[in-house]
Amino acid sequence: MTAASEIRYQGEMHLLQKELMAKYYAEATAVAQGNGGKCAHLLIAGNPVELLRAFDVLPIFPEVNVLQIAVRHGSLPLIQKAEELGYASDNCAYVKADIGLFHSGYVTPFATIPKPDVLVCNYVGCNVYLNWFEHLAEMVDAPAMNIDIPFIRSSDGEPSAADLTYVVKQLEELIVLLEKVTGMSLDWAKLTKIVERSARTGQLWAEIKDMTKQRPAPYDAYFDSVTMMAPLYCLRGTEDGLRFFEVAHREMTEQLKKARGPLPEERFRIVIEGPPPWPKLRVFRDMFSRWGAVAVASTYSTVGGLWEFGFRHDPAHPLESIARHMLEANVCNRNFLQRYDQLERYVKEWDADALVIHSVKSCRLFSAGQGDMREHFVRDLDVPTLLIESDIEDPRYFSEAQLRNRIDAFFEALEQRRVTAGKILQGVS
Amino acid sequence: MTLTLDPTTRVFPAARYRDVVEDREFPTVREYRARTGRGAVACYPVYAPVELGHAAGMLPVGLFGGGNRIEIAHADSRFQSFICSIVKSTMELGFQEKLDLFDAIMFESICDPARNLASVMARNFPKLRMSYVHLPQNMTSAGTVDYLAAEYRRVLAELASVFGKPVTDDDVRASLTVYNAMRAAMRDLYAFRAERPQDLSTGELYTLARLTTLMDPAEVTPILHEALAAARDRDGRLKDRIKVVLVAAFCEQPPLELIESIEESGCYILDDDFLLGWRLFRRDVPTEGDPFRNLARAYLDDTLHASTKHDLRVPRAKAIVDSARAVGADAAICLIAKFCEPGLFDYALYRKAFDEQSIPHLYLEFEEKTWLYEKIRTEVETFVESMLFT
Amino acid sequence: MRYAAGVDVGSTQTKAIIVDEQGTIVARALTDTGAYLVRAAERAFQKALEQAGLEREQVGRVTGTGYGRFKVEFGDAQVTEISCHAKGAWALIPATRTVIDIGGQDTKAIKVSDRGEVLDFAMNDKCAAGSGRFLTNSAEAVGLDVSEMGERSLTAKQPVRLSTVCTIFVESDILTYLSQGKKVDDILAGVHGAIAARTVALVRRVGAESEITMTGGVAKNVGIVNALKEKLAQPVNVSPDSHFTGALGAAIFAMERILAGPAVTAQEVLA
Repeated sequence: MTAASEIRYQGEMHLLQKELMAKYYAEATAVAQGNGGKCAHLLIAGNPVELLRAFDVLPIFPEVNVLQIAVRHGSLPLIQKAEELGYASDNCAYVKADIGLFHSGYVTPFATIPKPDVLVCNYVGCNVYLNWFEHLAEMVDAPAMNIDIPFIRSSDGEPSAADLTYVVKQLEELIVLLEKVTGMSLDWAKLTKIVERSARTGQLWAEIKDMTKQRPAPYDAYFDSVTMMAPLYCLRGTEDGLRFFEVAHREMTEQLKKARGPLPEERFRIVIEGPPPWPKLRVFRDMFSRWGAVAVASTYSTVGGLWEFGFRHDPAHPLESIARHMLEANVCNRNFLQRYDQLERYVKEWDADALVIHSVKSCRLFSAGQGDMREHFVRDLDVPTLLIESDIEDPRYFSEAQLRNRIDAFFEALEQRRVTAGKILQGVS
Repeated sequence: MTLTLDPTTRVFPAARYRDVVEDREFPTVREYRARTGRGAVACYPVYAPVELGHAAGMLPVGLFGGGNRIEIAHADSRFQSFICSIVKSTMELGFQEKLDLFDAIMFESICDPARNLASVMARNFPKLRMSYVHLPQNMTSAGTVDYLAAEYRRVLAELASVFGKPVTDDDVRASLTVYNAMRAAMRDLYAFRAERPQDLSTGELYTLARLTTLMDPAEVTPILHEALAAARDRDGRLKDRIKVVLVAAFCEQPPLELIESIEESGCYILDDDFLLGWRLFRRDVPTEGDPFRNLARAYLDDTLHASTKHDLRVPRAKAIVDSARAVGADAAICLIAKFCEPGLFDYALYRKAFDEQSIPHLYLEFEEKTWLYEKIRTEVETFVESMLFT
Repeated sequence: MRYAAGVDVGSTQTKAIIVDEQGTIVARALTDTGAYLVRAAERAFQKALEQAGLEREQVGRVTGTGYGRFKVEFGDAQVTEISCHAKGAWALIPATRTVIDIGGQDTKAIKVSDRGEVLDFAMNDKCAAGSGRFLTNSAEAVGLDVSEMGERSLTAKQPVRLSTVCTIFVESDILTYLSQGKKVDDILAGVHGAIAARTVALVRRVGAESEITMTGGVAKNVGIVNALKEKLAQPVNVSPDSHFTGALGAAIFAMERILAGPAVTAQEVLA
């Protein structure tokens, strides 16, 4: 069983991701050192990155910065720095790490993060975003704008006409703000081209996501999907971004043909809900790999955008499609029961054996009420469901022994049931 | 028990309603329904457009969790230990069928747990009609008033469908009028308390404010007027206490006894955030013209400082310092509900601002389900001593 | 006759059980875990062998369980205590469909099949509120040993209401009540009531299907068992061997494996 964890998917896609992200962060460092253009800080959920790219404004995502730091085991001192400044242990650790990073001169092992020339708070579901950027606005001298995205609240799960008009209006106002910040006027042809690349990226990504319906799944739709998420947000709309998804698509198609998966043997197909524990990502992955458990779908991979159910950007209607992306085509702005439906589709259409809910304390958007979610899947849908807890950024909330214990117990139970089922089958035949 | 104004009683109005305000059987609401035949809509904090529920034939009722009177038996299994108490206790009220007397419930986009609570309650209590209001967070867009007015019309349509009776703009204007009167009376009481805290305690004022969330505005306003008149007749002696503003308890509410403990430990509270949404507007909402746009404009431009409203035009820390100075407070107490993320985020900014402005401040954490107050008393007494004796 | 053993390395105590082919317990041993988990496991197993009068070679298979299960170095397999408590409770009381175990850090409720398999389980979240440690801290706060709490609480007249099940803050609550002149038995009854309420919430997550069996060391606390019965409005079984449930479950797993022969992993069965 231990051997399983050693063979996992490490193809060209991963190498290219490293290369492109290094390039992206080199660009960020150049901006920080005054050798580049302008940058905006914005947030992942339903991001309108196409508009920034149209002005050659580099998108900087604090979430991506602090998760990169967490993966490199550097988050705790930053969190503690923010706590010394009065942030509470119950505040989101992403925010604390970013505030701590700001007070450390924005220097990371992989880049110097440029201070924002403009703060774009795309308020897409997450209320903490508002607090976060409100705090940044008090710290840095840059124009700030909240893009208010009305939450999905109607019974049909669609935004209203008034919602769409309101968001498009705000995007037009964002354009005015960006024109002021950059001194350029918007080149609509350029925006159209970028949106077109986003549309193609979305198509490729959706097809890649579809491939895990096969047995074995060609990659892990949680642990390998996170590799694909950084280019999806930091590079979407660029040529590099599109190239990455072409390579990833080709490679996954190849994996499918060879019937190769991320583990030597796919013994359990799981759906994972919730963000990963970045500070202990590898340890966490091993806890599943040793059971031969492969994620075939995950909600976390849809925080920035939900493409697998049909949404595509539309070059013919750039602003409307960006608005739709922000309103309805990402998991964050959809209501909690829509997430239940999303997970149910994953379990059924991706043919999963079980649901694993990773509840992170920092992100209450994701976690608040996951006990009810578990209840629904176990009681109403009869899907074996495991609820475990740690955090996305704060290593102090990762209790390895406790997690291992619960994960082992869960797979022991799944395996026992298979033994029983096997015996009954033998008895019949 | 009589809930209407009884002129023969000599008791100060607030004292008559002490038990009523914490009663999770909602006696005022039951009595109102039976007497008027109208419905009732529960309003989750912080701010709900109550006029819409009122115009739709319902009594808007403040739903402030379970207080310290109910035991959480079921809700723990739905929400984790790091989720604030009011979310769990509101869920628990549903499980214990204490929300059955409501026809509908209103939630607003105030924070992530409250937002998910709306979904979880919709799933578990499908009989309760749910209206979710997305309050805007861009105060400066040219599209915001249009959006919010449309949102209010949408919400009104949802609420009106509960009884299937059409609601006219005039109905909404009439509701604006009665709520304007109620909020004006509350503003007067708050102004009086800031000026003469020795003649109107915060425990009393809180009881009255809570009552406004449980009664028809037309019926509660005379009680507020009576209370103000009675308070004016008092002639209390100013004791040796410090004057404070109390901030951050804008959603989950502490027990009345906790508020009284803070006062008794040596504080006059000149201003507070309690039940903020029910008295949010600084002045009357205009009743001429489009009532939806008026209500929307008032929300954007004419409110008290609210933690859940992110207004980039006014730096939050400055707003809080200004309001403390405006009432002449010596110090600030941040009374923050345990696990309340908006409150905790604000505190980081407040703390810095209070330090910079040399305003002494005390951080206190509370949970609604508290019935031991010794720890808080000790903290407040120490704080008061540090100010009085140095 | 073939024998199998289970060794349960817990945070405070290590337990070992040896069973025969019928699943009958032939030896039970208990030792303090201490800082050296490997030695504690060895010591408990050795004691059990001596009690049964068996040689090491006569035990065909050993399964380790508990938080220290990977420290049972002589073991052939490791199984979590969740699976083992289910199996053990079923072995002790076959009608068991729901298992409750209040452990040091973890409280668990397990739904069990008629073959002792785990169908679902729920555990306290990361916060250890209402776990065994809460009991220990409460006992210390009133100056009693944890083993004395149960009996003592039975004479309570007016149980107090604790404002917390937090293992840390419970002490200040208790001190407040003591300074208010509340009786120790009333405070203890309050402590048991608070734990029972929290535990029952967990049990409801998996469904309180009868029969309900409480396992683990805390099952010896009659105050908690009574509070659970009252809140569940159902009887709760407690076996005299409740303390050994995890080790017994591990031993049964080992014996089932011996009896099934070499090829019984799920993948092999399903292949």
